[in-house]
Amino acid sequence: MDLQIFIDLQDKFDQETSLYEGINNAIKEMDRTCRLASAKLTKAHSLPQEQAKDVTESIKPQFVTIKQYIGELSQLIKPETFYRYHDRWTNVLQTACALVAFSIYLEESRLATPADVEEYLGFKVNTENADITVFVITLEEYLHGIISLFNELSRLAVNSVIVNDVKRPQHISAFASELYSGFQLLNLKNDSLRRRFDSIKYDIKRIEEVQYDLRVRNLI
Amino acid sequence: MEPRKQQVMTTFLAYRNTLDAHYDQRERVIKCSRDITALSKKMVFSLLRITQDSPEKVFKDVEFKHNQVLELFAKMSKEMQGSNAMKYNRQATPGIQEYIEAVGLWRFLQHNELITKKQVLESLTIESDGNATPLVSVTDEDYLLGISDLPGEVNRYCINSIGKGDREAVSKCLAFLRMLKEGVSLVLSVRKYNNLEKKVPVLNSSLEKIEKAFYSMTIRECEMENINPATISASGIAAECNMDTS
Repeated sequence: MDLQIFIDLQDKFDQETSLYEGINNAIKEMDRTCRLASAKLTKAHSLPQEQAKDVTESIKPQFVTIKQYIGELSQLIKPETFYRYHDRWTNVLQTACALVAFSIYLEESRLATPADVEEYLGFKVNTENADITVFVITLEEYLHGIISLFNELSRLAVNSVIVNDVKRPQHISAFASELYSGFQLLNLKNDSLRRRFDSIKYDIKRIEEVQYDLRVRNLI
Repeated sequence: MEPRKQQVMTTFLAYRNTLDAHYDQRERVIKCSRDITALSKKMVFSLLRITQDSPEKVFKDVEFKHNQVLELFAKMSKEMQGSNAMKYNRQATPGIQEYIEAVGLWRFLQHNELITKKQVLESLTIESDGNATPLVSVTDEDYLLGISDLPGEVNRYCINSIGKGDREAVSKCLAFLRMLKEGVSLVLSVRKYNNLEKKVPVLNSSLEKIEKAFYSMTIRECEMENINPATISASGIAAECNMDTS
């Protein structure tokens, strides 16, 4: 009789396996789509600012696909069990948020807000520490996405000078330092968010070096 | 401060509040989990005294401690509503597992059965305004890992029982551990599960110890059957040892 307990558990675990397959498949497809979008976006580093819009337009189809797969995940997962499986897709969602952040900066030279993320990815960013009742993108995933922006910005600053654009690095410098001040307000614990936050200062340094190089040569 | 910078600072202050609230909540769960672990261990110690105290005394003591643990669960329950149950499961699970081990041992000693997940949830249910829901939810993993820690404690009980010559207790322990081993192996056959895998060596060594102890016990009993202690007299021993009794 006692053994029946384990037989029942066996069955439950077997059933869960098919759920895992659905989740893993959606994640795999999203991952592929993110990589494709990321590859297309790198073109923005070799084009002048005026042509940035072409690059961001080119990845709109990828955002549609990503939205679709997040939708699939939301169908598979009940909100009460959201955090049971959340670790599986958190990395790909962080990447998706990074794509949104970079796209918005390229198009409108501003910070992507949670509302922007919701528009591009189809799901709300959970900015409150509350019980959730629907599938959400977590605040940490959004913040990870913004942190990725710093790296793109430091590269963009360098590459802008290469195409003789000295105005953009100035904007980047002011923008990045403001954003960094915002990040420095956060009380972070020793987790992946903290570790990635620590890498921001190197991007800030690179951006400041570009500024300095331009200033010192009286180019700005 | 310029408007754009002000905007950034305001938004990030809000994010800070959210993150702080989350980290604080997580800390509270960790503290509850630690307290639950400590008190559950005390329950186990009480239960293991059953080989020296009367069962009534032991079970009464455990009942008392159990009510204290329930108060701790009530406290933790506030942080684990809805989706938060899984959100903070990693922090809560050590306490939950230790608790399952304690009530599992209790169930075994009192009723000679393996506690079910349903019974665990029932033990965590208190009536409040006609509502009877468990204070916290228990995942299958919590349950499995909790009961897979039973062999160690059952082993202790068994060795103590051997000291008291309680053959029946030893026999029950043996059957229980064999059943646990079979069950755990069944589950591991469907799913790779590292945390559960780690418990298997302990389970095996506990089982081995009990089998060896039972073996010794059986041998001794056979030996004792062949000697009738009542017939051993002083002169008899003296004759054996060639001693002068005059």
